[in-house]
Amino acid sequence: MTADIHTLTGAYAADALDDEERRFFERHLDDCGACAQEVAELQATTARLGAAVAVPPPPDLRARVLAEVERTRQDKPRMSPGRGGRPSWTGRLAPVAAAFALLVVGAGAVVGYYQGQMGALEERQARVDEVMAAPDARMVESHGEDGAMARAVVSPSMGEAVLVVDRMAPAPSEHTYELWLIDDDGATPAGMFDIGDTGRTTQLLSGDFDGAYAIGVTVEPMGGSPEPTSDPVMMLELGT
Amino acid sequence: MDDGATHGDGPARRRLRPAAGTPAATDDDLLLEVARGDQAAYERLFDRVAGQVYGVVRRVVRDPSQSEEVVQEVLVEVWRTATRFDPTRGSAGTWILTMAHRRAIDRVRSEQSSRDRTHRVGSSQHRRDYDEVAEQVEVAFEHEQVRRALGSLTELQREAVELAYYRGHTYREVAELLDTPLGTVKTRMRDGLIRLRDALGVAT
Repeated sequence: MTADIHTLTGAYAADALDDEERRFFERHLDDCGACAQEVAELQATTARLGAAVAVPPPPDLRARVLAEVERTRQDKPRMSPGRGGRPSWTGRLAPVAAAFALLVVGAGAVVGYYQGQMGALEERQARVDEVMAAPDARMVESHGEDGAMARAVVSPSMGEAVLVVDRMAPAPSEHTYELWLIDDDGATPAGMFDIGDTGRTTQLLSGDFDGAYAIGVTVEPMGGSPEPTSDPVMMLELGT
Repeated sequence: MDDGATHGDGPARRRLRPAAGTPAATDDDLLLEVARGDQAAYERLFDRVAGQVYGVVRRVVRDPSQSEEVVQEVLVEVWRTATRFDPTRGSAGTWILTMAHRRAIDRVRSEQSSRDRTHRVGSSQHRRDYDEVAEQVEVAFEHEQVRRALGSLTELQREAVELAYYRGHTYREVAELLDTPLGTVKTRMRDGLIRLRDALGVAT
């Protein structure tokens, strides 16, 4: 076993060692920098396998966990050797901490606001779920200026698409963003949206995707246009 | 479900807004805050990772009520041991999912089953805002990318990785299931993960 102990990195990262081998290999990791590095990389890889199968947790889980957290004492940090002091990051993190505290308060307010609108959104969410689960669902994405990003899950058979926009600047004053389904005959309006100060939105598009080769986004005068009056700021190629 | 006001037909109602884009805290940032006892940071981190933790535990454990117990243990353990998280050794996401997978495996192996214990699943009052839809789309993209990356593996590499990671078998059990020598399974599992690492562009 010791001869090729280094090849156990894969089985270790996949948690495929039995308990005894696991302890044995962990002792080896303390002494073998190369294996420790490889294990770190392979664990980052298996974490991707895990993230890829995420599903919404049961709705009451959050409250139960938070209640338990409320009454759970945190472990003591590992002391840095020879210093007997705090972990090295605590000092330089303090200003960042203050900034995050503010962000957290802001995010809480937003969540509260949208929870109030939930009823109206539930029906829409059911349609979102359907699009995501459609057998012909297809994923497309596009990047715009300044890190703006749009991703869509499209189901041509349902004639619907779920669009997620992130890091997009608000449309200029007196203007709005308009969505288009683009085919050989031109562009068909597919709805309008505005971007809040978070720079993001989600939209559900309906339309005839037969023959459409892209979803386009343009800036239009407030109220929208029957056909595009400017070059697209985003084009999501449907790859048909 | 959207942060921006959605306009139907007719005149749009516009509001003056500050310029876009508050910088987002990363999972690492949040976990370091949690380590300092910040419960609000914990709640935000929870909303980001609970679906991933639940997904991976369900895959391995399968039984819903047992999965819920494990997930709850893991998520509380994240709070309790955040003080031990060292960002120089890997990301918060990897740290949490590694812990989740390990606990799921422990549960499957110890087999101290409480299978008939039933857990009431509460009301289906889901939080449906931007984050949730965006997360769904994110997972769909991630799933597709991983599916494609798994497709780049040899049959034996892929089976070895999937049987170990998603089904929770030891490499000895995998060798048995695939009727393949132990040493071969061990190396294929490693080769497969290395190939996945490269296909997914994983950096630590």
